[in-house]
Amino acid sequence: MVSPATLHVVSTELAVGSFAMAGVAFLMAGMASHGWLLGERHLSLADNVAHFALAFGLLAMPLAILTGIQSSPGEGVDHPVLINKMLLASSALGLALGVLFARQSQGASIWHHPTGKRWQTLGGLGAVGLVLVTASLGGTFSRGESLLDIFSLPYDHVPLMPMWLSATVLVLAVANLVLMRRGVRA
Amino acid sequence: MNRVYVLVMVTMLLVLPSMGSANPNGVGSGSFDAQCGGACHGDADMNRSSAATVEVSAPDIAYEGLLTSVSITVTNIETTTSGLLGFFLLSDLSGAGDTPSDAGWTIVSNSEGGTGNYVEARIGVGQTQHTVEWTVRAPSIGEYPLYGAIHHGTEDGSEAPFFGASASPAVVDVRPVPEDLPRLAADFEPPALRTVGEATTVMMTTAFVDDVQVEWRLPGGEATMVTVASDGDAWSFELPATLQPVAVQWRAHLGGEGPDQTTPWFTLQSEEARWSVDENAAYLQSLAMVLAFMAAFLSLQRGRSDEGLLTKDDVFDEEVEA
Repeated sequence: MVSPATLHVVSTELAVGSFAMAGVAFLMAGMASHGWLLGERHLSLADNVAHFALAFGLLAMPLAILTGIQSSPGEGVDHPVLINKMLLASSALGLALGVLFARQSQGASIWHHPTGKRWQTLGGLGAVGLVLVTASLGGTFSRGESLLDIFSLPYDHVPLMPMWLSATVLVLAVANLVLMRRGVRA
Repeated sequence: MNRVYVLVMVTMLLVLPSMGSANPNGVGSGSFDAQCGGACHGDADMNRSSAATVEVSAPDIAYEGLLTSVSITVTNIETTTSGLLGFFLLSDLSGAGDTPSDAGWTIVSNSEGGTGNYVEARIGVGQTQHTVEWTVRAPSIGEYPLYGAIHHGTEDGSEAPFFGASASPAVVDVRPVPEDLPRLAADFEPPALRTVGEATTVMMTTAFVDDVQVEWRLPGGEATMVTVASDGDAWSFELPATLQPVAVQWRAHLGGEGPDQTTPWFTLQSEEARWSVDENAAYLQSLAMVLAFMAAFLSLQRGRSDEGLLTKDDVFDEEVEA
């Protein structure tokens, strides 16, 4: 029987590996779209690789989260690192979904707009960075150390908002998405 | 659509086995019937007999409502690579309704720092023997058997779960309390948990006691006497702080008109300060952040959908649309 801890390692490697590849591809796409070192041919390749890898990473992410919860000791989310992992993973998920939906709705032309290509590059790199920090938190939680310890990140500090503020942000975000959807249809 | 079915099926095949498996990380200490010795491993019928030897020891005589100690010693230990070994203190081996509390006992503390009849201990590599002690309050007058049981997995996790029980019970004869017996007050509850770095002042109430001496020790270490202050039938003393999450044991020698009595060793476990959070607030904030980040990014990228055409080899769009 494969234990949840082993499955967690497998699914985490899938997710982190995909996101890492997406990060490199987003960097290449950003450089190619600006004409730095790389050309149009590389842009098309990096664009497809970046978004496919990001989408695959998102598919692997729920499995990593499920197995992570199953293999963690104790019950519930009872450690600040776990809360920070959840918040960072949520941010990464939202940003990655935004990057993918933007790419889907605007097509490859997004790389030919001066601000569009910058936001797409920064959005992709941001989502990847958040996932890598999340993975680093996992290393800190299970082994007490990680590569990113050199930055002395405040892992034990949880920036938890009051529920009314979270609910307000949630409502505003949903309203924003609905209005954008209506705008696209109109 | 076929791709979606395949994806869902593969995901379920990966996730479901781990949900239906045993609990390789343990279930945590608590109060469980012996049936859990099988149920925690999936199906009790799958159990095999453990090669370990389980012995339960308790005093032959206890007094109604007073505290006494019971211990379970396991020798010839075999367990998994994680070292988890589950100890049960039971009132019978029927499998259900067999916790000590079902027979009227009250568990005050155990040597692992909990108050349940089931203790999950982590056994070190090469360790072949382990003892868990419980401090219990005796039930009403009568004879009561107490059993010890264990369960564990195997080194590689490939075989059936193992269950073992003591060959014979320890039978405790609970008698009425002699009138002038020096004893702890019936309502005295020794502290079981404290925070690392904090000294503990214990307020102990007694009956028919003229003199009290208290000693403490680390498990297996030498005992040290502490100063006791008295105020009638209330006695107070301070147990030193620990710098790490370890257990400290203490006991009192009670003197009075009746025969002198010595309490069982009480265990006081130090733990790191517990961290807690409103989980609902965290989950709500997570959901809010998913949607907020998505909405914010889409807002930034909005307004250029009609500019430019798709490139001729737009594989990503074709795949998404397919």
